[in-house]
Amino acid sequence: MIWRGGARGGREARRREAAARRAPAGPLRDHLTVPTPTPGTPVAELPLLAVDLETTGLDPGRDRIVAIAWVPIDRLGVVLGGAGRLVVRPGSDVGESATLHGLTDDAVAAGVPSGEALARLLDALAGRVLLAHHAGLEAGFISAECARVFGSPFVPPSVDTMRLQRRVLEGPLGTGPEPAGGELRLAAARQRFGLPRYRAHDPLADALGCAELYLAQVAELALRSRTPLTLADVSG
Amino acid sequence: MAETELTEVVDFLALHAPFDALPHRVRHDLAGRLTVRYHRRGSHLMTVGRDSDELMIIRSGAIETHDAEGRLVFRGAEGSACGSTTLVGRNPSRFDVVAIEDTLALHLPAEVFHELRREHEVFAEHFEGERAGLLRAAATAVATGRHGEPILRTSARDLAHRAPVTVRADGEIAQAARTMTDEGVSSLLVVEGERLVGILTDRDLRRRVLAAGVDPRQPVSDVMTSDPVVAPADASALELLLTMTEANVHHLPVVEGGAPVGVVTTTDLMRLERVSAVHIVGDVAKQTDVAGVVDFAARTPRLVQQLLEQDVSADDITRVVTSVGDAVERRLIALAHEDLAARGMGPAPRMCWMVLGSRARHEQALGSDQDHAVIIADDAPERAEDYVAALAEQVVAGLEAAGHPRCPGDVMATNPRWHQRLSGWRAEFAQWLDEPVPDAVLGASIFFDSRPLAGDHELHAALVNEVAGRLPGARNLLGHLTAQAVDNDPPLGFFRGFVLGRSGEHKDLLDLKRGGVGAIVDLARVHALAAGLTVVNTRARLRAVAGPGGLAPETAEGLVDALEFISHVRLAHQSRQQEAGLPVTSWISPDDLTTFDRRALREAFHVVRRAQRALAQWHPGQRWT
Repeated sequence: MIWRGGARGGREARRREAAARRAPAGPLRDHLTVPTPTPGTPVAELPLLAVDLETTGLDPGRDRIVAIAWVPIDRLGVVLGGAGRLVVRPGSDVGESATLHGLTDDAVAAGVPSGEALARLLDALAGRVLLAHHAGLEAGFISAECARVFGSPFVPPSVDTMRLQRRVLEGPLGTGPEPAGGELRLAAARQRFGLPRYRAHDPLADALGCAELYLAQVAELALRSRTPLTLADVSG
Repeated sequence: MAETELTEVVDFLALHAPFDALPHRVRHDLAGRLTVRYHRRGSHLMTVGRDSDELMIIRSGAIETHDAEGRLVFRGAEGSACGSTTLVGRNPSRFDVVAIEDTLALHLPAEVFHELRREHEVFAEHFEGERAGLLRAAATAVATGRHGEPILRTSARDLAHRAPVTVRADGEIAQAARTMTDEGVSSLLVVEGERLVGILTDRDLRRRVLAAGVDPRQPVSDVMTSDPVVAPADASALELLLTMTEANVHHLPVVEGGAPVGVVTTTDLMRLERVSAVHIVGDVAKQTDVAGVVDFAARTPRLVQQLLEQDVSADDITRVVTSVGDAVERRLIALAHEDLAARGMGPAPRMCWMVLGSRARHEQALGSDQDHAVIIADDAPERAEDYVAALAEQVVAGLEAAGHPRCPGDVMATNPRWHQRLSGWRAEFAQWLDEPVPDAVLGASIFFDSRPLAGDHELHAALVNEVAGRLPGARNLLGHLTAQAVDNDPPLGFFRGFVLGRSGEHKDLLDLKRGGVGAIVDLARVHALAAGLTVVNTRARLRAVAGPGGLAPETAEGLVDALEFISHVRLAHQSRQQEAGLPVTSWISPDDLTTFDRRALREAFHVVRRAQRALAQWHPGQRWT
């Protein structure tokens, strides 16, 4: 069930080239010069980086990143040795959200400057596709941070496990009922596949949880597809 | 890389063996060397014939392991692991591992696995144990019938298919006879209230009533057999068989909680088809001359073949062979007594004929030598030794004709050294216990495996109990026995592509006895003697010494499984030799082994070697004091 053509691959590559030309020398340009997987890349070979951000709120324009965690996926295996977790020092108060993600101002103050955190994330992301649950939000925060730090916004190519979950629940031809919002949350989605329960709001647990969920989702979606799944089948 | 605590993974590892026993720091570093993979239900984690180079730890979901023949070996959920067989053992895999639920697994690469094995003993030991588990499955698999039920394991409860027909002890004999006719049974259980007090059979009515002219209005209690031999409801068909042949009865009341629940007859056992042993044992006892006994003994190989075909366990088969051997030897002894009496050499002195070695342990295989000895009572007349010598000559000749070669070491009752008075035996044992000479001990260790077969069992009991009490303190003797027990190298080199029999006719053959069955028997013996136990069966010894101060329970069970498996391979091999008209031996060519057998044998020999090493590490003085 391929519904996106390969043309987008060319457009994506041209977009990155243009972005690389605009970006100042530094981590963002370095990141952009490493080619990302093409849309035709089989899922079995697709390198991804599952990312989870803890932020002060839900608005990329106003809120800031306070913690970043990631774990890479190579050849459908979550490589735990590549996992990373950073606390970010944003320069403004964490405020009320501390009760959610458990990071106090003190802990945040012990973190790395946001420019350095971003540089390290972009380095880990080089040559990979961003994987996140509700990836749009993660991508939005990364782009906003890039604009702030490097003066140039950047939206990385991504795969969204929340969208994939919607497809899992909707069934092969959209035969299933419209999924309720709660069913799409990370914990509920994992439960649907019998995956173990992880503690909430630990960014690394969420990144790992998202990565494992993705493996389960593509295993199920692959069964419904007559041809091997590619990046184009799972992205967007 | 950031200081990354993979809490979820580290915590998970901390909950499951053997990772729980690793230091936290090691567990923490380990988490960073794992890969998480997802296996859909029905997909293979390992495949027979394919190489596998990872340990896979089940994070969620469930797996099943099947051997190359498709038999289920293992089923595991969260926290269990697979893959150690190819990491500790050899590729390619001889097992299929399939996800039976959607499964998330942590994959640990071979080099990390081996590093952990080298650096953490507890980790290495865990996976040695894992292999023992697979060996257990291999041993069980060969011993289970194709329909899943080992036939001789059928319980007495299942065989006693109808409720018992009972009669009161004060009831009239005539009424009892009518009840038997009406109910169509050949025996009645005699009860007082709920309690079983006796049994009355067809034969009793014939012999004790009709032939003896007893008034049929007399009470049943006058002619019944009081306090009959009974079987517990959970006794196996094999146990029933052995009890019936040993006690020479044809009806066995089955009791549960003291109350009778039914009767098992020899006919019921014969209906199992499988146990022609019942016929043989019964028929042997009826023979009136040596030729007749020999004739029936010759049926043993065919019996073994049948039992093998029916997937009866080696333990059960050797018990059956033992029971036939016992019946043959007992009958030969009785015939010899009759002959000596007819020639005016009687009466027989008070004596006990004992069997030694594998038969004493209930572990007789095919083609075994004869090993026996006699204890003569101290108060026997002066010429008793001559009588016993003459008796033994006849028995030895009969056993030889029945297929048991003379003992090459002359451990036979014909040898004056092995037919002694009780006081002589005491002196003999005292010497072994107090000032053992290695050579003498090697020859004499066979005497520690003895069982009374005919005559006065009390003589045997007196000797054995006295010796057993002194054994735990006999440090020198135990030291020699230990040295002997660790000296039988399991033929592991064989499996590395070398051949073991270093020269001569056995050059390319594998010895299943010396480093296999024999080594396990020796290990069990030394442990049991050190503990002052009088049991002689190897399984019983291993189970009795398992626990604190003795053998590690998993080692004991591992040895029981190894014994079962090696014995089974040996019996099958001997049966084939017998059929082909070849001499029966314990030497087997690797070409005669299936891949499965070869691998399971290798595991079995590994278990033996580990147990030997553990025993060797005990300084005898340290252990026995």
